Amino acid sequence: MPTPSRRTFAVAALAALVLPLSACGSSDDGSGSTDASGKVEGDITFQTWNLRANFKPYFDGLIADFEKKYPGTHVKWIDQPAEGYADKLSADAAGGTLPDVVNVSPDLLAPLVKAGLALDLDKAAAKYRPEYLDGAWTGQQIPGVGGTYAFPWYLNTGPMFYNKGLFKKAGLDPDSPPKTYDELFTDALQMAQKSNGKVATLANVPTVEDFGRYGVELMNKQGTGFAFNDAKGVELLTKYKELYDAKALDPQALTATPESSGKMFLTEAVAMNPGSALDLENFKKQAPNLYKNIGITDQITSTGHVNMYVMGVMVNSRTKHTPAAVAFAHYVTDAQNQMSFAKQVAIFPSTAGSLDDPYFTKEDGTDETRVRIAAAKSLKNAVNYTPVLFSDQMKTALRNEVAKALQGKESPKAALDNAVKACDQLLQQQG
Amino acid sequence: MATSTVSRVRRQLPTSPWLFAVPGLVVTGVFILYPFVSTVVNAFTDRRTLIPGEFVGLANFRELLHDDMFWIGLRNSALYVLGVVPALVLLPLLLALLVQKNIPGIAFFRSAFYTPVVASIVVVGLIWVWLLDERGLVNSLLETIGVGRVGFLSDQWLLLLSAMAVTVWKGLGYYMIIYLAALAHVPRELHEAAAVDGAGAVRRFLTVTVPALRSTMVLVAALSSVAAFKVFSEVYLIAGPTGGPAGEDTTLVMLVQRTGTGLTGRVGYASAISLVVFVVTVALMLLVLRADRREES
Amino acid sequence: MSVVEKAPPAPAPAVVHRGPVTDEHGRRIRVWELVLRYVLLLFVLALTVGPFLWQLSTSLKGPTEDIFSSPPSFLPAHPTLHNYARVSDTIPVWDYALNSLKVATANVVTNCVGSALAGYALARLRYRGRRVATLVFILAMLVPAESIIIAQFTTMRELGLNNSLVGVVLPGSVGAMNVLLMRNAFLNLPFEIEEAAFVDGANVWQRFARIALPSVKGTLAVVAIFAFMFSWDDFLWPLIVLSDPSKFTLTIGLNYLHGTFANDERLVAAGTVIAVAPLMVLFACLQRYFFRGVGEGAVKG
Repeated sequence: MPTPSRRTFAVAALAALVLPLSACGSSDDGSGSTDASGKVEGDITFQTWNLRANFKPYFDGLIADFEKKYPGTHVKWIDQPAEGYADKLSADAAGGTLPDVVNVSPDLLAPLVKAGLALDLDKAAAKYRPEYLDGAWTGQQIPGVGGTYAFPWYLNTGPMFYNKGLFKKAGLDPDSPPKTYDELFTDALQMAQKSNGKVATLANVPTVEDFGRYGVELMNKQGTGFAFNDAKGVELLTKYKELYDAKALDPQALTATPESSGKMFLTEAVAMNPGSALDLENFKKQAPNLYKNIGITDQITSTGHVNMYVMGVMVNSRTKHTPAAVAFAHYVTDAQNQMSFAKQVAIFPSTAGSLDDPYFTKEDGTDETRVRIAAAKSLKNAVNYTPVLFSDQMKTALRNEVAKALQGKESPKAALDNAVKACDQLLQQQG
Repeated sequence: MATSTVSRVRRQLPTSPWLFAVPGLVVTGVFILYPFVSTVVNAFTDRRTLIPGEFVGLANFRELLHDDMFWIGLRNSALYVLGVVPALVLLPLLLALLVQKNIPGIAFFRSAFYTPVVASIVVVGLIWVWLLDERGLVNSLLETIGVGRVGFLSDQWLLLLSAMAVTVWKGLGYYMIIYLAALAHVPRELHEAAAVDGAGAVRRFLTVTVPALRSTMVLVAALSSVAAFKVFSEVYLIAGPTGGPAGEDTTLVMLVQRTGTGLTGRVGYASAISLVVFVVTVALMLLVLRADRREES
Repeated sequence: MSVVEKAPPAPAPAVVHRGPVTDEHGRRIRVWELVLRYVLLLFVLALTVGPFLWQLSTSLKGPTEDIFSSPPSFLPAHPTLHNYARVSDTIPVWDYALNSLKVATANVVTNCVGSALAGYALARLRYRGRRVATLVFILAMLVPAESIIIAQFTTMRELGLNNSLVGVVLPGSVGAMNVLLMRNAFLNLPFEIEEAAFVDGANVWQRFARIALPSVKGTLAVVAIFAFMFSWDDFLWPLIVLSDPSKFTLTIGLNYLHGTFANDERLVAAGTVIAVAPLMVLFACLQRYFFRGVGEGAVKG
């Protein structure tokens, strides 16, 4: 749930007059260097994103081991809450107080790279590249800028949960949930019809990832403009409009948040919802009835590839201790440490070969393991459909145009044309 | 009051007035006005969060004119003033009349009515989203009395209305207090004279209370309209960060936040919107003060 | 801002009752009117306090109790503090609460001192630039806070105060609104009081500290409560200015709950209760002074 405060938000902020006007320049005007070959020593800070609440012992241990391995280093760990992370990074980047090693997602990485704040690992740490899955490594590259700017860290892909009880009531086979969008549309319409519009199948409007999984080309080949307003994109949105009109897409979908749609699923008002293995525990506790009827399946996709999220660990190009920062960023993301992190929580390592570990291939009869194995399998050919250059402002623009189409205020074609136009403009303004 | 003494009282020790005022002036100057001047400067640049901008003249303001979202924001902020201000001028006054009489336990009620003011807006937002949910308390009560469930959190206008209701709910106690203070200054003779003339409660309210409280009502109107035009939190929390279906519930300050924040924020453009908000706020304030002055003369 | 009543402060109405219930003018209140008043009072009470009680009730419901039931169950079947224990297992609530308390206390002190001094200067002292000074505070009140936060951060960094609790306190340490509140309270004091002291040879500091200030205690209580509320609730500024988790304040800490357990309404409810309860307690303790401050005519813009 969003929790801004009254003096909310780093806005129209200015930073201008006092800010060193170097933010745009290349990385060699800072005190950092791209040479990571020196002695690994010094004090560095490491910033993660909302991991402290659940994984404090893991990170404390990780840091202790690193400091033991490299005497003379000291790592200070900072964790930031989920809310306001981009604002926090903005203030730090603008104010020159960005930590040495930072946990970023690709969409946060892109602007930092363009401002020259991320170290190019193809120059500083190319030797580590073979340790990672190729797709994960290239996932840290920014279209239009040469180089790779973060070590790939954990991957994630959520399964799709569905409510077998509701499927049964609607006369659908609870053991063969929809796999492609076409199957989904058919099932959802039947569900709505059989329940007189009381039970929706989906709680969320389509996102850019949905367009990707439907097989729409999201950007042009050069990465200079968006293209999801093609015939395929319009087809998807037209289908969603049909669902919305039939109440197969929940009427509250236009204002839904991940939390609210999760709650709808929990209260059995919607029949399917994306989630992660973590949610199972939550269902067990909060909705025992639902838990008995829970079905787990792959993400809906018509391309044969599911979507994955890639987290990265970047090194601040202005760090005073480049060797230590690079060594630590690599240490956090190396095969061994990613594996032990994966065992703590339902995420997946991005290092080469790790997904073949028995932990990700061997059934032990529990639901958790089943979810994990299925996800690991689908990850092997998963795609990160979120365009790296897709900013929050673009997400909002797409979401609003999609809503207009669903409400019937605009045709799906016009809505997507507008969304592409708005996103292209924002893309240009990002510079 | 002997004017000569008064001015001597005031004139004594020429250095101390500044000593008194300096802490406040320094803090306000360094942390509020100086950053604000920067915002004004930025409004004429194309600055982005991480990329220093160049001077672009009035380009941002020209863009505003063609930005649908800006007009939606302006509409909603204006609607907010129109919807919230009358309620906040009138309801707290009635509430103040209700708690004015010293009947047993009234201190408890006064404090209790003030609690929504004390609670943080984030908490208030969480509570109300939970109450107004499709399956929340309000809807299950409505269903019990046969009205049926209402989609408070899905319809564009109901969302705006719900946010206004929360603003009013949270503001009731605050403005009640202002009225309570003013009511204490209404001479009882006026009421008694009216009562002797045989005026009923309603007529006494209209002929005695309202005229006596006019300047307070103007003040409440001024304070609440400035706050309403700058509304952010309530709408952000109730209608969601993207401002309801298709962004139709976006207010101007929400637009400032959305455009200007994050690593890809368009600081220059957002500053231009901030400037518009500031100018309108000052205008609202002046408008109300002028009405007040006219009334005084 | 000119909308200030110059009437003398009203004495706080006495709350002593013997015999029949009377109104503030000493007239008896008829029974039916009294009943009507209590009915209305209880109705408003349900509206204003009910939502908080519902949240409290949710936070006390155990993991097996259905919180989405219809019709709703207002009381937890088996009240438990389990959710509060889980909150404190997840985040170091007490450390964060201590930081919040430090920040809020500092904020109360600086606001009371700073705005009393500035308010006195604006109301009572004559010097060149007084109108400009007043205007500075009025303008500051109109600046949209949302638009200046990064500039504030950059300034704080230049001062070397980022990542410190001092940095959290400074920007709000003398609130413009509070200065104007104090100014109005001093304006409402009759001049005669100070005049006598002046004739006795008291200088401006003595008059301020011994005579003027004690007469506006109520307004100071109002400022104290506003300052405490403001700093206790603040989220984004502490988040931006602080990096070190050991210095985090409670609102930032509680945010971990939303990120981690967004779906568990009970836990979120427990978190909100922890956030609100201290404010309610503080207000309950100070409400007597608070309402007196209101009587002084402070809360008039």
